[in-house]
Amino acid sequence: MAQLKRVLVANRGEIAVRVIRACEALGIETVLAMSAADRDTMGAKLATRAVCIGPASSTQSYLNANLIAQAARSTHCDAIHPGYGFLSERYELAKLCEDNAIIFVGPSADSIRKVGDKLIARTMAAAAGVPIVPGSERVEDAEHAAATAANIGYPVMLKAAAGGGGRGVFVALNPAEIHTSFERASAEARAAFGDGSLYMERYIGNARHIEVQVLGDSHGNAIHLGERDCSIQRRYQKVIEEGPATILTPALRMRLHHAALSLVKHLNYRNAGTVEFLYDADRQEFFFIEMNARVQVEHPVSELITGVDIVQEQLRIAAGDALSVDQDSIKVTGHAIECRINAESPENDFMPRAGRINLWQPPQGEGIRLDSHCYSGYLVPPYYDSMIGKLLAHGVDRPAAIRRMSQALDQFRVDGIATNIEFHKAVLADDEYVAGRVNTKWLENVFLPRFQKGLH
Amino acid sequence: MAVSKEDVKSLIKIFEQSDWQEMRLEVDGLKLMVSKSGEAARVAPATLAAPVVAAPAAPAPSAPVLVAPTPLPLAGNQTVIKAPNLGSFWRQPKPGAPAYVEIGQSIDEDTTVALIEVMKLFTPVKAGIRAKIVRCLVEDGEMVEYDMPLFVVEKI
Repeated sequence: MAQLKRVLVANRGEIAVRVIRACEALGIETVLAMSAADRDTMGAKLATRAVCIGPASSTQSYLNANLIAQAARSTHCDAIHPGYGFLSERYELAKLCEDNAIIFVGPSADSIRKVGDKLIARTMAAAAGVPIVPGSERVEDAEHAAATAANIGYPVMLKAAAGGGGRGVFVALNPAEIHTSFERASAEARAAFGDGSLYMERYIGNARHIEVQVLGDSHGNAIHLGERDCSIQRRYQKVIEEGPATILTPALRMRLHHAALSLVKHLNYRNAGTVEFLYDADRQEFFFIEMNARVQVEHPVSELITGVDIVQEQLRIAAGDALSVDQDSIKVTGHAIECRINAESPENDFMPRAGRINLWQPPQGEGIRLDSHCYSGYLVPPYYDSMIGKLLAHGVDRPAAIRRMSQALDQFRVDGIATNIEFHKAVLADDEYVAGRVNTKWLENVFLPRFQKGLH
Repeated sequence: MAVSKEDVKSLIKIFEQSDWQEMRLEVDGLKLMVSKSGEAARVAPATLAAPVVAAPAAPAPSAPVLVAPTPLPLAGNQTVIKAPNLGSFWRQPKPGAPAYVEIGQSIDEDTTVALIEVMKLFTPVKAGIRAKIVRCLVEDGEMVEYDMPLFVVEKI
C-alpha cells in the first residue's frame, strides 16, 4: 500500500465508519467530508480529520462532486472513497478524479458509464455470454412498447434505462395495460433520473434476487466471493439479505459464479462489484439484471462467509496492488443473514422516523456483527435515508444463522425512535421464511398483509 | 464515560490540526485544557488521576466529544460573514489585483467580499448585510469549511 496515505471519505452513516475502519487497519489516514447535519456523527469522531463541505441538503454537500474533489485537494488526500449511494456510481466524480490525479476508489469512469447505463450493460453481458432476461432495446413510445411486448410475451416489465432502486419500474400484465404502464414509467423515469428512456423485460413472477460479489484488480485478477440471496424486498428495496443462496443446486451455483466472472473479465473491471441476477425459481434459470459498480450495503454477508474484507480489498485495488486473495483460497463457510435496521415505523406504512436515540443497546455475541454509526444520544437527522444499522448473524448453516439472528434481534434495544426491529423478528419467525418458500414479492404480497392483520 | 489515553491523544491531535487557540474539555473526572498561546500548554493533573481503560473493541462513544471551535469574541454590534460552502478563500479577483474589500470599508447586502474556489470555479461571496469590515479571519488561498466565519463586520 505504498500509494495511499490519506483517503477522503465521501459518505456518511455506517458506511463512512466502515471505510474509516478499513483505512485504519491498513494504516491510511482519513478525512471525512461531511455535511453540517453530520458534525456529531461517529464518522466525524473516528476520522483523522473531518471537514464540513456544505449544508445538510445532500445536493449541496454529499451529491456535489466538485465540493468533494475540492475537499480532497485541499486536505491533500490521494484518494476518494465514495461508499455506496450518493456519488458512488456517478461518472462525474470518477472523471473529476481522473482529471485531477486523485485516485477514485472504484472502477474507471468508463466502466461506470458502461455499467450504469442498463442498456449498455445488457449488451455487454450478452457479449460476455451471460444470459439476459428476454427483453428489448430502448422502446420509443407506447406503440413500440406494445409491439415489443407481443414479441417478449406478457407479463412484461418497463424499466428506466437510467434507473435504479426500483424507481421507474412498471409491470403490464396484458395488452390492455401497456399504454398506461408506458406513460407512467416514462414520466417517473424523467422525474427521477432526468431521462425518460425505457427498456422492457419479461416479468418473472416467481423470482429470486440472487447476486454475486466480485472483485477485480488492475493486474487482471478477478474473483468471486460467492452469492447472496436478497429476495426479501419491499418496494424494490432490500430488507433482508443472506448468503449463500440455498435454493441453488451446486451445478447452478457454479454456472452463476462463472457467468458473473465472465462479465467482470469482459469489462476488465477494477473494484469490488456486484453482478445481480434474477433467478426464475419455476424454470430454474438465471438472468443478468445489472451490475453495481460499488461496495454494496449487504457486502458484510459475503465478508462473514468468506473472511475477506471487501473494503480493504477495494483500497488495495485502488492503490494499484493485486488482490490479497485468489479464488482457490476462497471457501464459503456457514450461512450469514443481514437485517437492515431502519428508523421507521412498519406499523405506519414504514414512515421514516428521525429523532434522538435515547438508548442504543446493540446485541453482542459469537457470530453477531453490527455495522452502525449510532450511539445513545445520537440524533438521527431527517435529511438522509433511514438506515441506522445493519445487523448480521453468522452460523454453521441457515437454521443456525436464523436462530442467532432472532436472538440478536431480541437483545437489540433502541429507545427514543421507532425502528423495524420487531418487524424483522416477525419475518424471521415466519414458517415460510424459515422454509425458504419466498420470492421477491413474498414480503409485500404475502407477509405484509399477515403482519398488518396481526397488528389489529 | 471512561476516557482512555488514546482518546486524549486523539483530542490533542484534533486540537493541533485545528486553528483553535485553546480547548477546554470536562467529562466525568477529567479536565483537559490545552492552549497554543504563550503559556505552555498544560494538562490538568486530574487527567492522570482519571481511570484509564483500554478502548472497547466496538466503538461506543456514550457522549459526543465536543469539537466545536471556541466562539469568536464579538462586540454587541458585530457579526460575521460565513462561508457558503467548502473551498479555497480568495480576497481578490486575481493575484495582484486589489482586494474586494478593505478593513474599515462599508459594504451593503450585495457587495462581493471574497471568492470561494471549488475545482477552479470561483463563486462570489456576497456580504448579505449592511456593515463595515472589521477583520478578515482567513488567509488567502486557505481552505474554508461550510459556515466558517470569514469576516468580522460591524452592523451599520
